[in-house]
Amino acid sequence: MRIASFGIFILLVFGCGLTALAQDDPIDMVESEIVLPAPASKVIALNHKYDIGEILDVSWESSTSDPELVFGYIIYRSEGDNKFDSVGAVLSKINSFSDEELIPGKSYNYQIGTIGASGVALSEPSEPAIPDWELFNLEMWNIALIGFIICGAVIAYIFSAKAGRKLFIRKIGGLEALEEAVGRATEMGRPILFIPGIQDMDDVQTLAAITILGKVARVVADYDSKIMMPVSRSLVMTSARETIKEAYLSAGRPDAYSDDMAYYVTDEQFGYVAAVNGLMVREKPATCLYLGAFFAESLILSETGNSIGAIQIAGTARPGQLPFFVAACDYTLIGEELFAASAYLSGDPKQLGSLKGQDLGKVVAMVAIVLGTLAATLASAWDIEIMQKFLDNVMLGIFSNH
Amino acid sequence: MEQFGIWLAALLTIGIISFLYKDNILYKACEAIFVGVSAGYWFVTYFWDNLYRKFYLGIQGAELSDQIFLWMAVALGVMMLTRLFDKIGWLSRWPLAFIIGATAGLYMMTYFVSNAFVQIGATITPPPSMETIGDKISFVLIAIGTFCGLIYFFFSKEHKGAFGGAAKVGIWFLMVTFGASFGYTVMSRMSLMLGRFDFLFGEWLGLIK
Amino acid sequence: MKRTELVVSSLIVVALMICKFLLPKPLLFSPLVSTIVTILIGCAFLVIFILTVKGKPIERRIVFLVVGIALVFPFFMKVELPIRISPEVQQVYDKMSSLPAGSKVLAAFDYDPPSAPELQPMADAFMKYAFEHDFKVIMMGLWPQGPQQANQSVEAAWAYNPQWMPDSADEKVYGVDYVNLGFQSGNEFVILRMGESFKSMFPADLYYTAYDSVPLLKNIHNFSNIDWGVNFSAGKPGTVEWVQIAVDRHNLPMSAGNTAVQAPMAYPYLNAGQLIGLMGGMAGAAEFEKLTGHTGKAITFLLSQTYAHVAVILFILIGNVAFFLNKKEKK
Repeated sequence: MRIASFGIFILLVFGCGLTALAQDDPIDMVESEIVLPAPASKVIALNHKYDIGEILDVSWESSTSDPELVFGYIIYRSEGDNKFDSVGAVLSKINSFSDEELIPGKSYNYQIGTIGASGVALSEPSEPAIPDWELFNLEMWNIALIGFIICGAVIAYIFSAKAGRKLFIRKIGGLEALEEAVGRATEMGRPILFIPGIQDMDDVQTLAAITILGKVARVVADYDSKIMMPVSRSLVMTSARETIKEAYLSAGRPDAYSDDMAYYVTDEQFGYVAAVNGLMVREKPATCLYLGAFFAESLILSETGNSIGAIQIAGTARPGQLPFFVAACDYTLIGEELFAASAYLSGDPKQLGSLKGQDLGKVVAMVAIVLGTLAATLASAWDIEIMQKFLDNVMLGIFSNH
Repeated sequence: MEQFGIWLAALLTIGIISFLYKDNILYKACEAIFVGVSAGYWFVTYFWDNLYRKFYLGIQGAELSDQIFLWMAVALGVMMLTRLFDKIGWLSRWPLAFIIGATAGLYMMTYFVSNAFVQIGATITPPPSMETIGDKISFVLIAIGTFCGLIYFFFSKEHKGAFGGAAKVGIWFLMVTFGASFGYTVMSRMSLMLGRFDFLFGEWLGLIK
Repeated sequence: MKRTELVVSSLIVVALMICKFLLPKPLLFSPLVSTIVTILIGCAFLVIFILTVKGKPIERRIVFLVVGIALVFPFFMKVELPIRISPEVQQVYDKMSSLPAGSKVLAAFDYDPPSAPELQPMADAFMKYAFEHDFKVIMMGLWPQGPQQANQSVEAAWAYNPQWMPDSADEKVYGVDYVNLGFQSGNEFVILRMGESFKSMFPADLYYTAYDSVPLLKNIHNFSNIDWGVNFSAGKPGTVEWVQIAVDRHNLPMSAGNTAVQAPMAYPYLNAGQLIGLMGGMAGAAEFEKLTGHTGKAITFLLSQTYAHVAVILFILIGNVAFFLNKKEKK
């Protein structure tokens, strides 16, 4: 930092020297050699808000000298021992500086050096300041407020579901088809292909897919059908194996389970697609289920599935891939329907409660959009000032990233 | 040697493209090579980037707190491998729980702020220029589309009556969006194909500059 | 393998060998040949249309073949397409051109070779512009192959101006003018940690040089020391994650170049002001090339893509017309 600021200082002085040499009037040059610029004043160091206690914000009033004769400012820092070292430099138009990577709880003073043609004029030192950390970022009160409302609702609904209250969720098209599709594969004596997307277990879509897998695997176990599940992530393979194993256990047929039902292929996207494509045309599954996070492989897989005449059910929250599933599959769970299906099938109070809580979030969003649009329309069409204020201060105050 | 690489890449590309005709021996061979090589590549990448660069180099001269974090990560990684042993296989659930928990926590904030708050704010903020009739129509359309889209994804009420009507409008908006997205994706897929053709006709056959 | 299949595949091999060893290089069609080829493709569509309407839909393999031909033949034609600059690409260029020399730019290469046809032209044009305007470029990747793609864009810049190569007059010095931090696994968590400290995620660069030993990185601790970020993204992790964390949490001014598949997902962030401009797909890359004045592959590919798009549109029209005509007949 010191080297950098010294470098900038040298550059500024060099630049100043060149400027001075470029002057036609030699008298000006002589004057600039003698007169130092007026120093900066009112140097204040304050704790930077909402950080982890490593930053101080330094500000000052600019030098009163002719702006053309001030080339910049050097920021000097002392650790309470009156020994000032330069920690940075800024151009003359700027009058603030954030000093980073300090030690929390330690006291620091600052001095500002105004760089002129003939040298550096030092300001009075600032009062000592101590960098401190804060537990909460109060500027993000709006997010906390809405977050508490929605999370509170989720928790309340979860408890309510656990207490035995039946939570209503509307019927989701395509779910009935799931069992039908598994049944069809059994009748035809052909396997079921389950693809849980190509993302890892840290993707919520993969989690939803694994939950649905539990239900599908149970039906497969009951019907004594065959499931194939090539995956592209090792962690997904681990979870899938556990889920299928549990389904076979609960169906009372643990001996029918085999680890080969879910197996790892490769992390490489198109390598995985090539392998699954090959599997599809050779094994000819009667039912293909694509549930999870998909990318470029969505169309390739569903197109191949279509070409072998399989019943295809897809579900993803990746907007870019939905068009292909909608076009090539028999049923598609669009976006959040995937998560809803997971909650619906599992009947898990946590998932049901989350879904209901999120519905409350959607109500908040819808109300905000109606109020906001109304206010914006009234404000712009009829110049109603109070509406503009409501829009700016209330609505945008809440729905913005401070 | 470089020419050998180009010839090999060209043959493998043709092998994979031959799947468009039908499954064949050449495709099967290419598929096996692709899967094997990519799995190996990932293994090597993770070894050098994670174990060597991030852990081995990272721990040297690091502060004690950073060293502890790195060792904790290694411990979690080793716990994943306990799956290989039946008796202590349950330990592998812990790192899995850690990954899922940490990601859920991160997503909660990022999606809440970037995909919900800022987007609602943008929906109700009139665009800087509302002069033309087109600007006004697009502002209203965005608001209606977002509203009806939210209704479609509302699961606590049956889609009947006016509510069902609004949901239908929502799905229409979604379908129009899918159409646009479809167009973009077709463009992207053509680009992938172009890349390979550029290689075949350029680098391999030398017919294009 | 059937006999006919054997004959056809042998013919293909012979044709390829003729292309490889006998045809003139580079091959360029005269305007007359270009017109004849275009007319022949048009005739093929006419035949397909008649067959489809007659209730004899063509095989899917014919569709693949026609689209393939539509993609390949324009390689050999010399037609310049007019390129209209869209506001979102203009925004990227405006932001980039507003940066003074010496600005620190973070370039995240989050893609792999399959997506390179769309993203590499953007990256190449960016790198040439960055070197030309003396930006200090910090490259990295959240995809394992990203750093290699970054190096390719540096090589493209060297090919454009050999004076930037090592040991040349106007050499761009590794570690001083640009640095490649390499790949780091952890997806969005990497971005999150970089918000606090770059060094914690990249203790060493791609070539195992310690972070503190790289002169360019001396005063770069986190996003607050970066003047502009640009992300070339083909999926996840990519632009969405960069916006959510680096932009929304750490206020990094950022632009993005996306594959066409990804672009619709990035548009909401553009409209909400979270992204400063967006380059989408090949078209975006061609516009960016035109703006920067560094003509590359994107502009060349655009003609092929246009032909292929027309082919796809015609197939959609033929399919729909045949569908409705057959429906009418059935009634």
